[in-house]
Amino acid sequence: MSAPVVPSGSGLEAVDLSDRTFWAQPPEVKHAVLDQLRAEAPFAFFAEPEIPYLPVGPGYHAVTRYADLEAISCRPDLFSSGAGAVSIQDMPPDLNEFYGSLISMDDPRHAKIRRIVAKAFTPRILEGLVGSVQAVAEDVVARARRTAEEGDGTIDVVADLAAPIPLRVICDLMGVPDEDRAMVLHESNVILSGGDPELIESEEHAVEAFLTAGALLSGLMTRMAVERRSHPADDLTTALVNAEVDGERLTDQEIASFFILLLVAGNETTRNAISQGVLALSEHPDQRDRWAADPGLDKTAVEEIVRWTSPITWMRRTATQDVELSGRSFPAGTKFLLFYAAANRDPAVFADPHRFDLARDPNPHVGFGSKGPHFCLGAHLARREISVAFRTIFQQLPDLEVVGPPARLQSSFVNGLKRLPARLPR
Amino acid sequence: MTRVQVDRERCISSGVCEHVAPAVFELDDDGVLQVLQAEPDDPAAAAEAVRGCPSGALSFS
Repeated sequence: MSAPVVPSGSGLEAVDLSDRTFWAQPPEVKHAVLDQLRAEAPFAFFAEPEIPYLPVGPGYHAVTRYADLEAISCRPDLFSSGAGAVSIQDMPPDLNEFYGSLISMDDPRHAKIRRIVAKAFTPRILEGLVGSVQAVAEDVVARARRTAEEGDGTIDVVADLAAPIPLRVICDLMGVPDEDRAMVLHESNVILSGGDPELIESEEHAVEAFLTAGALLSGLMTRMAVERRSHPADDLTTALVNAEVDGERLTDQEIASFFILLLVAGNETTRNAISQGVLALSEHPDQRDRWAADPGLDKTAVEEIVRWTSPITWMRRTATQDVELSGRSFPAGTKFLLFYAAANRDPAVFADPHRFDLARDPNPHVGFGSKGPHFCLGAHLARREISVAFRTIFQQLPDLEVVGPPARLQSSFVNGLKRLPARLPR
Repeated sequence: MTRVQVDRERCISSGVCEHVAPAVFELDDDGVLQVLQAEPDDPAAAAEAVRGCPSGALSFS
């Protein structure tokens, strides 16, 4: 893709990153604006979007330069997550923790829980899961083929390929019963809908739908935790209920919150990397052919897909005291949104940043987060899933052909696709 | 002399170092980072892992 062009007449004063519809636009339009912000207004200030029932806060600065984003991310003492990392508004602390778990916590609590869960996500443990990820991917791909053959030859890349792979992997990891999996998919969609009208019927009901989704997922996890305490199984839920750090165990509430985090963060992000990876490959057939022919490219290709798609657009930090960044002063309490999507196209770090290059190396992208204690816990799992998904698609669905424009999620937080029509002509 | 140092208080067991330099680093069954080669055979890979550590727990002495 060539460098994005800023639409004529669209000055930065017309840009509102809080407007959900901005985020449903094609990537080249969004990136043109992010490029302009990075170059001309690297700490641009925006008013907060209004959400029914929540007080409107003071607004936030959009951090778009890689170096500034890293400077904030690596100083959790100065830039807190505990005030809320996944919402622009300040949420009541209990809600914040309930939905954000580790993401919206600061040390020392964050460190304690992270140590408990980290041991389930090491590269070696995940290496042991390759076989099961492979089996899931092959089954999903075979079903997609049947869907096409029994129908009109078309599939939806999102519903038929990208969504079921991470959902099944994470549900297998946790030991979620089969009959609960449709509910898990639906409710995690609601939580990460960003208020998209297709997923949440009316804005007035957004908060209610969000709370109901949390309650349903939490209820499922509580049932599973009780069950595993009396009947241990070989799954992550059993490990979580038994895990101890310094003689402390996770409370039921901490387990339920972590479960919601895993379902939501472990599902949608990988789904959106896969679906938008398929889209990017269809737009760059030379790159697709090169990768399909060379498994040696897997490692760099996966990193480039994560950089290119930046499935999570931003996380929030809040200044714990008066701070200085790139020579500018900000008072305590200032909110910053770290725009990973913008940092990942920063020409100060990435040569030719708008070029999709599956062999890009080095590729120090921040698609899994930047420096600091909140670096993505599931990075190794995500890499494995993306790599296996594409290799399986290359082998089993070489005829996969994207045939229509994607339907984009209207969310500033999650860079997602709702649908991507494709054909399997063979 | 380049010896790899781990700050245990800062380490979050992200496994980034193991991903980059598996001959040098490994998270054990408890998620605790083990340094397999304190003086790495491949200093370049070890340096990349140190640079890439998200928690800033790794350094050379």
